[in-house]
This record gives sequence, C-alpha cells and structure tokens, in this order.
Amino acid sequence: MPRAMRWLLAKELRELMAARAWWVLLVAMGPLVGVSFISAVRTYAEASGLGGTAAGVGEAFSPLIGVWAPTFSACEIAAAFLLPFVGIRLVAGDRQSGALKIELQNNMPAVARIAAKSVVLLAGWIVVMAAPAIAVVLWWSYGGSIYPPELLTVVMGHVLNAGLTIALAGATASVTEHPSTAAILTLSVTVGTWILNFIAAVHGGVWERAAGYTPTAMVAEFQHGLVRLDVVLIALILVAAGLVLAAIWMRLGVPVRHRAYESAALTALTAAAVLASTLVTPSWDASENRANSFSESDERTLAQIRTPLSIEVHLAPEDPRRVDLDRRALSKLRRVMPKVRVRYISATSIGLFEQTSPHYGEIWYDLGGRQAMTRATTAESVVETIFSLAGVTPPLEDAESVFRGHPLAVPPRGAATVFYGVWPAAIAAAAFFSRRRQA
Amino acid sequence: MSFSIRPGEVLGLIGPNGSGKTTLFECLGGVLPSDSGRVLALRPGSGQAEDRQLTPAEQSAAMFYLPDGIAPWPAQTVRWALAFVAGFFGPATNAARRTTNDVVRELDLEPLLDSRIGELSKGQRKRVLLAIGLLTPQPVLLADEPFDGLDLRQSRDVARTLRAHAESGRTLLLSIHQISDAARVCDRFVLLSGGRVRGEGTFDELSAVAAAQGASCADLEEVFLALT
Repeated sequence: MPRAMRWLLAKELRELMAARAWWVLLVAMGPLVGVSFISAVRTYAEASGLGGTAAGVGEAFSPLIGVWAPTFSACEIAAAFLLPFVGIRLVAGDRQSGALKIELQNNMPAVARIAAKSVVLLAGWIVVMAAPAIAVVLWWSYGGSIYPPELLTVVMGHVLNAGLTIALAGATASVTEHPSTAAILTLSVTVGTWILNFIAAVHGGVWERAAGYTPTAMVAEFQHGLVRLDVVLIALILVAAGLVLAAIWMRLGVPVRHRAYESAALTALTAAAVLASTLVTPSWDASENRANSFSESDERTLAQIRTPLSIEVHLAPEDPRRVDLDRRALSKLRRVMPKVRVRYISATSIGLFEQTSPHYGEIWYDLGGRQAMTRATTAESVVETIFSLAGVTPPLEDAESVFRGHPLAVPPRGAATVFYGVWPAAIAAAAFFSRRRQA
Repeated sequence: MSFSIRPGEVLGLIGPNGSGKTTLFECLGGVLPSDSGRVLALRPGSGQAEDRQLTPAEQSAAMFYLPDGIAPWPAQTVRWALAFVAGFFGPATNAARRTTNDVVRELDLEPLLDSRIGELSKGQRKRVLLAIGLLTPQPVLLADEPFDGLDLRQSRDVARTLRAHAESGRTLLLSIHQISDAARVCDRFVLLSGGRVRGEGTFDELSAVAAAQGASCADLEEVFLALT
C-alpha cells in the first residue's frame, strides 16, 4: 500500500475516533439492540411455553424470524438515523476545517481519498455491530440454536445497507457546501424511499418493482434469509456510484460545470447498470426452514417443467390475499421458474369495492395453452395447480426434510444488564481513554 | 495579471483586501477552478520561460498553497498533524529539506505539540500552519497572510525562519496586506490593486518608478500608495 494511503487511512481512523457522532452511535446501539433482543427472546420463550403458556407449533420456531430479524433491526434504525451523521462528519469535516485544501494538494486520486473514508466508516460500522454480536453470544449461552448461513445473511444485509448509507452520506456531504444541508438531503432520500414503498403498496406495477430495491426491502429480504443476486448487484452499484459522485465533487479545483457533466454521465451509467442488473435472476435461500422455497421435492419437479407458464391475478395491490400470494407462493415460484410471467389486474388499489366484480379474486394459470383457475393463494394450492396443468404427479413429501423448529423457553437472562449497563459504560470508558490517548 | 518568481527568492504579493491575492493562490494551488491562465516553467539556467504550460499534476508537484484562517484536523494534536503532513506528502528531495524537529524548533512549537489544533489561539494556529507549509516537499510555497495573527516578536521570528528556508533553496510566494511585514521578509514585490499588477520588482526598482511619477518614496508604504 502506498505510504500516502497508509497515512490517510490512519488519519481517517483518528478522525472517526474523535467524532462524537460515532461514539453516540455506539452508545445508542446497546439499548437499541437490547430492547429488540429482550423483547424477541421473551416472545419466543412465551410461544415456546414459558410462564405457563401453551407451547406453539414447533415449525414456527425459527430463530431467524423470531430473534435475528428483530434484534438486527436495531442496525436498520441506526443506519437510517445515526450512521449518516457519522459519514457526513467524516467527509464534510475536512471541508469545514480547511483540511481538504491541504490534502487535495497531494496528487492522490479523489476516488482513493473517498475509498479511505469509506473503508474506515465500514470498519466503524463493524465495531457498531458488536452489539448484535453480543446478542448472538447471549442467545447461544441460553442454549438457543444458531444456523450460521441465515445469521450471516442477516449480517450481510445490514453491512450492505450500511454501505448504501455511507455512500449516500459521502455523496451528499461532498456535493453540498454545509453538513446540515447534507444531513437534510440524506434524510430526504431515506424518506423518499419510504414514499416509494407507500406508492408501490397503493399502485403496484413498476412502482412495486422499483420498491423491491429500496434499502428497507433489501434488508427485509436478507432478514428472511433470502440472498438475491440482482439486489446485491444493485446495492453494490449504488454504493460505487455514491462514492464516485463524492469523489467527483471533492475535487474543488475542477470547474463546477465539468463536475456536473461527469455527474450526469455517472447517473446515466448507473441507471444502465441497475437496469441490466434487474435481469439477473439467481438467488439463494439461506434460511434453515426454507422460508423462501418450496419443498425440495416440489422444486425438483417444478424445475423439470419447461413449458412457459403465465399467471393472471385479479387482485388489487393492497388486498391481503395478493400480499399472501406474492410472499408465500409467487416469490418462491420465481426462484424455481425465473421465466414465469405474472400479470396483475385490478381497477382499484385496495380492491374493497371490486369484491362483487365478476372475476375479482380469480387466479388464472396458463401452461402452454392449458388453463386453470383457482381462488386459493397458498403455496400448496399454487404448486398443485401447476402440477395438475403439467400433468405430473405431485412428489411425496419427505418427512425428514420438514423443519421441526427450535423452541426455547428461557427468559433473556443478563441481557438488560449487558445492553443497558455494561455496554454504555464500556463505550463511555473507551471514548474517554481514546480521547486521552489521542491527546 | 502576470508576474514571475525565481528559485530561492521571497516574493511578496501585496495588495489591499479584495484585490484577489487569495483567489490567485487558490487557483495556483488547484483548490479553486480558474477560467483561464497559465503557469510556465523556467528553462533551467536561462531564466527564460518555456512556452509550455505545466500540467495540473506538475503544478501540484511544484507548488504548495498554505491557506489562511483554517484549522485543519481540529481534534488532532499538533504533534500528530505535523507527523501526518510529513508522512502524507513525503520528504522533500532538495536542499530545503527540513525534519519535523527542525521546523518545530524554528517556530517554537515545542510547548504546543500536545495541544489540539482546534484549541489553539489564532497566532499559535498560524505558526502551526506555517510549520505544515514548511514541511511539505514542493519547491514553491504559497503562503496566504503568513503574519496574520502574530505579535511583533513572533512576526520577526517567522520572518527570520522564512528567510532561512529561502536561503536553503525554497521559493516563497507570500500574500501580505501589512506592508511593514512584507518589507521585512521579501526580496521582490508584486503590487496588486483592482485585480491588476501595478508594479513588480525590488524596493529600489519600484521606488524608481514611483519617483518618476513624482511621488515620495521613503518606504514601501509610500511606494505602494503611489503606484496603486
């Protein structure tokens, strides 16, 4: 590594350690993770029969959904509301203090400068994720089950989400003159993705497709153990685009008009790469309970059907049956049969006043000209209908492969002490000694 | 405006507030875009300007611009900031090379080494900034208002230090609005007013021009007032 880069990394690390925003983020993570983890473990324990309650169905006890998704959701909150300020501080701080004017006079490429900041910010985020990592250790100490692939998937989702936040904060801090403007812009983008999700829920169609790539949707998929290559690629493209945009606007000596042209070219290139990535279909289900897949035997049989399949759904975007159909059946079907065509037909967004329409609620399947109609929205009914149209015999269910769940009826012992007491105290002590060491 | 600077000399850019000194320095330092203009290299030994514009990379390798009124890395200590500048820019390869310890001693920064830059007074910060500039390896140092915020004794010490660096081969271009400070340290002067060069040369050369216009030329202040 070049000498200048080593010094720059060391400098960014010291600047991160000196940033109060980062220490606030660290302190806040303890209670944030604590409240989520404690609540999740209590609910899990009650459902498992703790405190005299009746034990639920074993198959429902997946730590991924019951514990990891809520516990790591603290990272999503921190990434949306706290991490941007750390990123903005690290990027805009140099401009505010005048350090950028000194550093720019080293002939290092601007991309390398922003890369150094991003690497340090990402390292800072990894440290922040020590809080949920402690929750994992606590869960393990309670005797809870840990399935590494699904846990790593959740972590990967939150690291990617942090990468998006860092890139966004870096770009806004670099483009704008003042950190407060950058903060407003960053939060506006976050709120904008929520608005997109809302529009998608109401109108469906292309909005729904676009909303599938917002950070919220991305994190939700990872929290369900699903890794979609298109989502990962688009996230990485957006991270790269944000960092390059930050690098473009960091070069104070380049005329604004040139920077604007370069930004426009970058936007066009990013849009093309994102559109191309939406065509990528591979995905992996890392969940232990195959939450995103049909049974293995059903998938093998479905994969053998080569005839084009199209489905016409007469349900409104906000109709709960359509949400069920999408989540429980069609998303799984798309993973096995990527070329399946699904068409949604509705006159309204909520469907409440369409219930009496002649065809509302119907789901039509067309497999190579053979047609069938059902109103059922469960995964089983969808698979059965397709098998029936294809004329194949449904495979026998393998009892061995059925997920039996991991019930655990224990209270979250020690978690409150760790997250509400030990963690904040340890962070405060670390901040104190770090400040003394830097002095 | 157009002017020249020779290796190892201290050239003072003198002009009132708003005359464009800082803007010029920022353009030369590559931290502000310029609409037009060229930086030409001297042909070694000839004293003639080559008809070739320096590329931005060459310009950046030749000149370091030290801004005025900044407090870089405010949370870091002076000791660390100086080590960072020396490490980040690398050592100078010419005779003007100084170690961090040399510069600390020359600018009397020893008592400030463990202080945070953000906590320093204006004069202390100015001396730290000068140390930063003197540690950079570029052969030409552009310092914006190097005496601003310094008391009389400190101004004299800094002037002596700058002269010593110039004698070691470092070329200094100083933007100064206090003419008494400029007279103390500079070999030659460029007088600016209204965004134009009103005179360029040594005190004697400028005095002669002013005298030809019938002005009194007892000191640089009178020469400046006569020519601008």
